[in-house]
Formats: sequence, C-alpha cells, structure tokens
Amino acid sequence: MMRFLAAVALAVALLPAPARALTVTDQAGRQITLPAAPARIISLVPSVTEILFAIGAQDRLVGVTDFCDYPAEARRKPHVGGMLAPSLEGMVSLKPELVVVTNAGNRQETFDQLERLRIPVYVVNPVTVSDVLDLMGRLGRLTDRAEAADRAVAVLRERMREVTARVEGRPRPRVLYVLWPDPLMVPGRGSLVSELIALAGGESVTADGGPEYRRYSLEAALARNPEVIVLASHSSERSPPKRDNWERLSRVPAIAAGRLYTINGDLTHRYGPRIVDGLERLARLIHPEAFNRAESSR
Amino acid sequence: MRSAGPISGARLALLLGGLALLVLLIAVGSLFIGSARVPPGDVMAVLAGRVKGVDQVVVLSLRLPRILVALLAGGALAVAGAGFQALARNPLAEPSVLGVSSGAAFGVVLAQVMGLGGGLVETVGLAACAFAGALVAGVAVYLIAARAGALPVHTLLLAGVIVGIFFSSTITVLISVVDFDRLGGVIHWLLGNLSPIPPRSLAVFAALLAVGGWLVIGAARRLNLLTLGEENAAQLGVDAEALKRRIFAGAALLTSAAVAFAGPIGFVGLIVPQALRLVLGPDNRVVIPAALLGGGAFLLLADTLARNVIAPAELSVGVITAFCGAPFFIYLLRARTGTAQP
Repeated sequence: MMRFLAAVALAVALLPAPARALTVTDQAGRQITLPAAPARIISLVPSVTEILFAIGAQDRLVGVTDFCDYPAEARRKPHVGGMLAPSLEGMVSLKPELVVVTNAGNRQETFDQLERLRIPVYVVNPVTVSDVLDLMGRLGRLTDRAEAADRAVAVLRERMREVTARVEGRPRPRVLYVLWPDPLMVPGRGSLVSELIALAGGESVTADGGPEYRRYSLEAALARNPEVIVLASHSSERSPPKRDNWERLSRVPAIAAGRLYTINGDLTHRYGPRIVDGLERLARLIHPEAFNRAESSR
Repeated sequence: MRSAGPISGARLALLLGGLALLVLLIAVGSLFIGSARVPPGDVMAVLAGRVKGVDQVVVLSLRLPRILVALLAGGALAVAGAGFQALARNPLAEPSVLGVSSGAAFGVVLAQVMGLGGGLVETVGLAACAFAGALVAGVAVYLIAARAGALPVHTLLLAGVIVGIFFSSTITVLISVVDFDRLGGVIHWLLGNLSPIPPRSLAVFAALLAVGGWLVIGAARRLNLLTLGEENAAQLGVDAEALKRRIFAGAALLTSAAVAFAGPIGFVGLIVPQALRLVLGPDNRVVIPAALLGGGAFLLLADTLARNVIAPAELSVGVITAFCGAPFFIYLLRARTGTAQP
C-alpha cells in the first residue's frame, strides 16, 4: 500500500503542472495545489466569510455556515449547516473547488470526510491579530484579490497604529473581560481578546495563565481589583448581557465608578477584519480620555 | 447509636440541634475560604460591617449567597432522595437515578429557550417549568415500572435510566437546534454548577424548600408505617395512595427547585440519606429531617472543594458529588440489592 502511494506521489510529482496551477500553503502549513484560483469556495468559518467579503471575493463564495451572519449579504449565501456538523451532502451538491475550515471550531471528522471525497481543503488557524492580517493576504492571493486584500490590510494596520498612538504612554488599567458570566469564562494567556486588550492600552487580569478561554472564579477575578469590566454580548442572543447581576456588586470599584461596559463579542472573538473595530471600541472603553480629548481638540 | 424503640422528642431535638450547629460551623468556615484569599481578619471585619469594597463583595455578595444555595440545594436533594427511597422502598431510588432530575433539567432548558424575560417572572417560571418536567418524568417512570401495584427494583431503576436518557437526549436536541451562544452556559450548568444567585431567587428557593420539605418531613411517621407494606399500613389507618402522591409531589418539588436554582447535581439524594441511615437507623422521622441538614452540609463541603481545588479556575460541584456518589452507588448495589429489602 505504502509503495503504491509512493509511486502515485512520484508520478504526480513528475507530471507537468497544469497551465494555471496554483500551489498555496495554508495556515496549518499544508501545501494545496489547485488547477486554478478556486471559483467556488465554501467557508465553514464565519471569520473567513467576513474576510472574503472584505476583500471583494464574495462572488466566489458559494456556501457558508449558519453562523456566517456578517455582512448581511452573507446570510443569503446557501447554508451548509453549523460549524460542528455541516451537511456533507449539502457541501458536495454545491460543487466546491475549495472548502475553508478552521482548527478551532470545525471538527477533524469534517476535514477527513472532505479529504476522502478529494475536495481540496484549506485550513486556517489564526491565533493572533497578525495571523488575521496574514490570513487576509493569503485569502487575497488565493482568490486573485491580492491587491484588494493588501489595501484592506493596510487600512486596518493604519487604524491600529492610530489606536496605539492614542493609548501609548498612558497608565494601563486592569481589565476584567467576561466572555460568559455563569459559569465565569474569561480570556487567558495567548487569546485574541487578551491581545486586543493589551493593544487597547489595558491589562487583562486573567491573562496570566492558559488556556485561551478559561473558567475562572469570580472572587479571584474581583480580588485582582479590575478597574474596568467588559461584558461580551453574543449577537445571536436576543438580549444584551444581563447587567443587573453585575450592578448588584456595586461595591466593586469598577462598578461603583460606572466602568461596567458591554461589547459586541463578534468584534473581539472572531478572527476577521472586524477585530480592529473591536480594538477601537475596547480602547475607547479603557481610555475614554484619550479619545475625548483628541476629539475636542480637533 | 441505633434505638430500637420510638425516638423521643427530646432526643430528636438534641440530634437535629447538634447537626444544625455542625452545618452552621461548616457554613461560617466556608466564608473564610476562597480563591480571593481574603485574610481571616478581613472576613471578620466584613462580618462586623467595618470593611467595605472588594472584600465585602467577595464575602457577602459572592461567598454568602453561594453557601446558602449549597445548603438549600443539598437539603432539597437529600430530602427528595429520602422521600423517593421511602416511596420506592429502595435505597437506590434518587432524583437523578430516577430520571426526575433530567425531567426538571429539560423543563429549565426549555424555559430558557422560550425566554422568560427577567425578574420574578423568570425566577418563578423557571421553577414552574422544572416542576412540570420533574412531574412528567416521575409519572413516566412510575407508569413504566409499576406492575400490579408493586414497583420491582430493577424495573424501577431501568425505567429511571431510560427516562433520564430520553430527557438528556431531548436537552441535546434543544442545544443543537438553538444557537449555542444562547445556551452556552448549559453544558456547565448540566454538570451542576453553584453560583451566587440574587436574594429574590434565594427567597423563592427557600419557600419551595419549605413547602416540599413540609410535604415529605410531615409524612415521616406514615412513611415508617409504609415500610411494613401497604396492606399493614392501611390497617393502621394510612391512606397509602394519598401518602404516595404527597411524597411524590414533595420530592418532585424539591428536586425541581434544586435543579432550577443550582442545576441537576447528582448523587446527593443517594449518599446523604443512606449515610444517615447507616448511622442513625432507619426511622424516617430522624433520617428525613437530618437529611435536610446533612444534605446541605455535604453539598456545601463539596462546593467549597470545587471552588478551591483548582483555583483560580473552578470545578463544577456535580463533578465532586459524582466522584463520591458513583462508588457509593456501586457499593449499595452490591451490598443491598442481594437482600430483598432496603
């Protein structure tokens, strides 16, 4: 069997490459060779869907998940199901030339099934802000939208520099970021949210240890004396996060000082272009003075 | 420790008083323990009303309500367990084993999916849905297991397992259909997860515990007669059917209150009454009220462990009770089912 596979691999390697063949390396370091830039892409990752729209490659997008809700036009693309159990039949019937999956949120089983059906799979694995920008460039090259992607990345970088310039040199308030209130889930070391908080000029009180998203004791979090508390909302929820359970804790300095805020979690948890929106929003929550003063002086 | 004759009122009062004192000691001790590492002197100062700020929040707004939830939920589950055991005349009967917890949990998840708004409506609505779920599950188990008025042990346990699996699957369906974000906490909640709840919820919980506790504890004497068999009990003036309905309603109410406010925490209703029976003898007039206190103490100890063992992260208390409960269940299954009677 191995010998046969090796022979096939050798034969494939010796074949002349097709005319416009495209070989790319995905974020998991896998090499993928496609006959041409894929015209029919299924995205199993909401952030990838957002990126494809942001770089103007949405016409190539033929299928998305139920969770791909941004931009609004994304909802009108054919759905293939959720991220954990997308419909294999649904995907096959869309005749994809490429399916984009993620290491965080999709299952290995989906990946294996697609490989078995010889549908090319592109794996994304963003962890940091720069991974997201890198992914935008990669997806741009993959879809013949390299220039548009580079322009979009340049704009995002410029906006990030603007935030950095405003918060630089200021004291760094301690921030408690609440991913989920009960049981308390918070961002840990190495998570995107912790990085965004640091870029926004704050210091996450829960970033001292892993895993990326961790359960945490509320009293331990409060004992670290957060100066700002940020509650994440989840767009699919009907209501914004319940503030009343927190407002009851009125003796906590952050809450007494009126520094209990909410943020749309899609801006801060999704590895897409909107992380910069999230960064700007976080920076304004953590350093309102940096933005008010600058605006009034204009 | 076993008393052959009927227990005297004075001895019962002494016993329960001692147990209450023990519970109080554990509760006060738990106020001093937590991942925020508030020094004992500061806890004392908070209790004396001399310290405000974060320490006060930690001790009075986080630890104290959580301790109260543990006492209420543990007491409710243990009394429910004792009630179901007396009803089924089997030591393995217990809210989670009988599928009643799963039914209540299904009610709670369904209520959350429907969305109940907030405030008192939500608090009472959750408890009502949990009670409805518990009743449906309990009646289903009874109908499946009952054979000509008798409840054979193995059929009862199997029926409980089946009904439990059915409702767990139904919860899984709901979680799969509904956006995960809206039910994101459910997975942890299903493991049993104590958290400080608002005073309003604590008050509703305490009221439900009082009603359910009265239904079960108030019938303890007649439950003793029921152990003689239904015919004998009837000759002694006990209306067995009415008694069974009362105990069933009380135990279901207690289970559903615990599930609504703390989550489906398993095995408390199994371990506590059983351990108490081993120590205090089989008299329900002693065991059931003692279970109210002992269940609270047990769950509080388990939760204090869950809060601190992997600080600053936390375990779900259901994990601890299951670690204690599973071996205990096996022990009871091996030791007791061989002999026909509990």
